[in-house]
This record gives sequence, C-alpha cells and structure tokens, in this order.
Amino acid sequence: MTIVSLKDFSLSYTKDSPPALHRIDLDLNSGESVIVSGLSGSGKSTLCLAVAGFTETFPAMTVSGQIIRSESADGKPLRVGIVLQNFYSQVTYLRSTVMEEIAFPCENLGLPRAETARRVSDAIARIRIGHLAQRSPLELSGGEKQKVVLAAAIAGKPDLLILDEPLSQLDPESTSYLGEVLSELKQELALLIAENDPYLTLKVADRLVVLSEGKIVADGSPETVIGPSTASCLDLPAWTKCVAKAYEGSVADDNRMTRQYELNYRKALSLLRGSE
Amino acid sequence: MKVKYENVSFNYSSTAALKNISCEFDSGKTILVAGHNGSGKSTFLKLMNGILKPTEGRVILGEIATDGKRTSELARLCALSFQNPDDQLFAQSVKKELRFGIDNIGGGDGLYDSIVDTLHLGGQLQSNPYALVYAMRRLVVIGATAAMGTPILALDEPTAGLSIREKEYLGNLISFLKARGTTVVIVTHDLNFMLPYSDDMLLLSHGGVQFSGGRDEFFTRSDARDLMKRSGIGYPMYARISSALDLEKAAFDADEIAEWARKKRAGVTQRTNGQHQLEGA
Repeated sequence: MTIVSLKDFSLSYTKDSPPALHRIDLDLNSGESVIVSGLSGSGKSTLCLAVAGFTETFPAMTVSGQIIRSESADGKPLRVGIVLQNFYSQVTYLRSTVMEEIAFPCENLGLPRAETARRVSDAIARIRIGHLAQRSPLELSGGEKQKVVLAAAIAGKPDLLILDEPLSQLDPESTSYLGEVLSELKQELALLIAENDPYLTLKVADRLVVLSEGKIVADGSPETVIGPSTASCLDLPAWTKCVAKAYEGSVADDNRMTRQYELNYRKALSLLRGSE
Repeated sequence: MKVKYENVSFNYSSTAALKNISCEFDSGKTILVAGHNGSGKSTFLKLMNGILKPTEGRVILGEIATDGKRTSELARLCALSFQNPDDQLFAQSVKKELRFGIDNIGGGDGLYDSIVDTLHLGGQLQSNPYALVYAMRRLVVIGATAAMGTPILALDEPTAGLSIREKEYLGNLISFLKARGTTVVIVTHDLNFMLPYSDDMLLLSHGGVQFSGGRDEFFTRSDARDLMKRSGIGYPMYARISSALDLEKAAFDADEIAEWARKKRAGVTQRTNGQHQLEGA
C-alpha cells in the first residue's frame, strides 16, 4: 500500500536558488525500504524533510506539486519518525537518563506508562544499548547519541521511519548489526533512508533511488540501479571497485562492465584471480 | 611535531573514558584512531589540543606538556575539527570562517589559497556557512582548522556525511598537509577510505589501547583481525580481499588489487599463448 506519494513535486529554498528538488514523482509503500543515494547537494536531506512534512513550515520556500499522505491504520494521520542528519539537535537533554530520553516520544503520544516502558525496553534491546540505559545523555559519545535518537524514533512506532545518514557516527560493528535491525524493521513499517554506504544499501534496500541535482536519475532494485550510468553518483563496494579497475580499458567486451557492477563478492574474487 | 601520551587517564564525572593509555607518534605521520562507539576516540583528540586536561598522566606535543598550558597556547600547536561541524561554525561567510584561524594564529595566504583550491571552496566563499549542505559545512570546518597551519591537525570523523566527491577532496588535503610535514591525527570509522593515507594506527577499546604502531606492521600481525574485532571494527574490505586472494601483503585500495589482478591476468594470457604455440609447433 502506498503511504506517501510525491507527485511532480518541486522545491526551492529561496526564490532565486535552483530547485533543491525538481519534479519528483515517488511512491513510498508500507513494508518497503527505500534508500536514497547521491552526491552531497543532490537533494537527499531535502527529500527526507519534505516527506516528513517539515518543509511545509519554511516561509521563504517555493513549492509546487503535491505530497499525499495516507492515514495510519487507526484512522489517525500518518505517523512519521525521523532521525535528522544533525541528530545532536534531537537529544532533548531534558531527562537525566538515556532510558527517559528514549521514552520522550511515547510520552508525547500520550501512551500509558506500561506501554511506554515496554516499547522503551524493546527499543533498547534492539539497538543493543542496555549498557547506556542509566547513563546521562550529556555524557554520551557522538555515536552513542546517534543510537539513542534512533532508539527513541523506533519506540514511537511510526508508520514511516525516515533516517538521514543513520550510520554516520557508528562503528563498523554497530553498522553491521543495525543493518540487520533495519532489515527486520521493514516488516513493521516503511523506511526511507538517505545513505551512501554501499554495504547498507545491499543489505537493506528493496529500492535504490539515485538523486542528482534534485532530480531522480534512477529508481529500482539496487542490482538494476547500480551500474555505469549511476557510477559517478554512488560509492560502490570495495570488490566492485577492484573489478572495475582491473578490467578498465578492456576492449574485449564493453558491456561486460555492466555485468561486473552487479557482481557479488565471490564472483568478484574469481574475476580478480583470473579464474572466470 | 611529535605526539606522546604518558599513562594518560581521563574521567567524565563518574565515567572513565581513557584508562592509563600510553602511545607515541613521530612528527609528520598520519595516524588513524579507531575503536567502537564510546571507546574514547574523541576524548583522545580533545586531550591533544587541551580542551580537556588529563585526570592523570601527561600529553606531550613536541617537548611541551599540555597540563599547565592554556588552550589558547595549545591552539598554536594543534588544531581540532569537531565531530559535529555545527558546533564549530560561527562566521557569517565561508571566507571569514576560513580566515579566522589565519588572521589570529596565521597559516599564511599561500596556505589559505591551497586549502580553498584543494577543498574546492572557491565558489562558496561569500556564502553563509549555515546555508551550505552538511558535507560542505564539514569541509569548511576542516579547511578552517587546517588553515591555521598548526604542526598538528586533529580531525574527528572527517568523512562522516561526505559523498565520494568530497571524500576525494579530503584525501587530497591530507596528502597536501603530509607533504608540508603536518602531523595529522584522524579519528575515523571509515578505514576503507582512510587506510591508504595513513602511516600509523591507534586502536582503542573501552578506554584502553589495543594496538599502537605502524599500519603495515599491524596488518602483518596474525592477530590483526582479532584485535580489530575486539575494538568493534570490521576487518577493512581491501585487506579482506587481499587475504582472500592470497596477496603477499594487505592492500589498502582498489588500485593495488587491480594492479595485482592485471599482472596475474597478463601472466595467465602469456601462458595460454605459450600453450597455443606449443600446440601449433
């Protein structure tokens, strides 16, 4: 089911600036994880903010087209959770422990205490931050704060969860298990993630949308989207880069490059060994 | 300028962030500091330019111990770019932001021009830093700290939020500073990108040192994977590919591996030709 639909949507931050988003048509569906990639300035964060509804309050902005949001299952407006690129600004610091910080969105939703407690402990277990639960949010490292903000967003049980570069401050081990957490989450909600990490894309994305200068230049499964036409906008997995470089200028078979971009790790290794 | 930590501990009220760590890095080296979230990486950097002073032990820059020195004095030795660029930006234009360090501490106009060129900031000089996209804000902060021309430059997660284009600019800046003899200390999770630029590594785990020393030395150790795992770090992709391909030593970028593969393929082709000739004869 489509929960958010952008129709011919354009947005400029000021009257004179070039559009940050240009004639975007995009449907987000429940149970689907969409990763948005592209160079910085391509419109990833603006897309996240627009889908979340934040841009509707920016006064100087010029907007055309439509964003249509469906209702939540209970007939209430669609619940959208977001972790901003600058997640530091989302830690309230009004609470003395991480546990209370994570409870904040549930309290705002007016949930009963028992339900709040259940959701908070579930989110803490999922993000594996039990060791931080009783710490003060003020004492956390950058990566720890990013996990706390993510846990709080999950505890709010949104219909759509928007994450703007959710892994930027996380260590590789956390990146790896949060990839699994996000894969699980998409069973329960829709995900829109702005991210350039190719490993997360391969792990989590049902769809990869590539933006360039505010326009969608590709939209499809990662296997079909990652290729020579999008290579200038995307970071690629290490093994893919090795194969592309090893076969660079190979005149034998031009469209071989296309297939090489789609190779998995093992296939890449055998190509590099020369045993393919 | 040399960097030395002697039995350094640091506590944030009730939490011990660094526990009795010792390490030493030579002047002009590029050092990567890696470890899990909360391992003490950012604390390690803040101790270097005197924002924090050790609870115990000494941090020594060149011959100067940081305790007893004012942060303003230490700012001439070590410039630090924060994890969150928005904590650091304050000027009304990119140019003013970049000039602030130069005009107060002095990296010189030549250095300013090189940094503007290397980071491709020329088109943004009149912009308000807060009007820029996140990646550009980060580059401005990195550029502004580098423009101070200090003998030590400390960068906290410099690649976070950068796309491949800005990462390339950052890589060029690090190479440029290295050629100038700057000691560059980089806290990073992005080892896949950063390893080719580094000489030395410091691995932290729960406030303690897992490894301190040369990058190449580290990757010849039989327990390299274990040490990284204990620090919450996955084994870097290019090193992993190198070991899967049985390369003699770990490679750190795609070029090295591609070069190896091309040579190997050329060898295979030669042999194939030889067989053909043999069959023909």
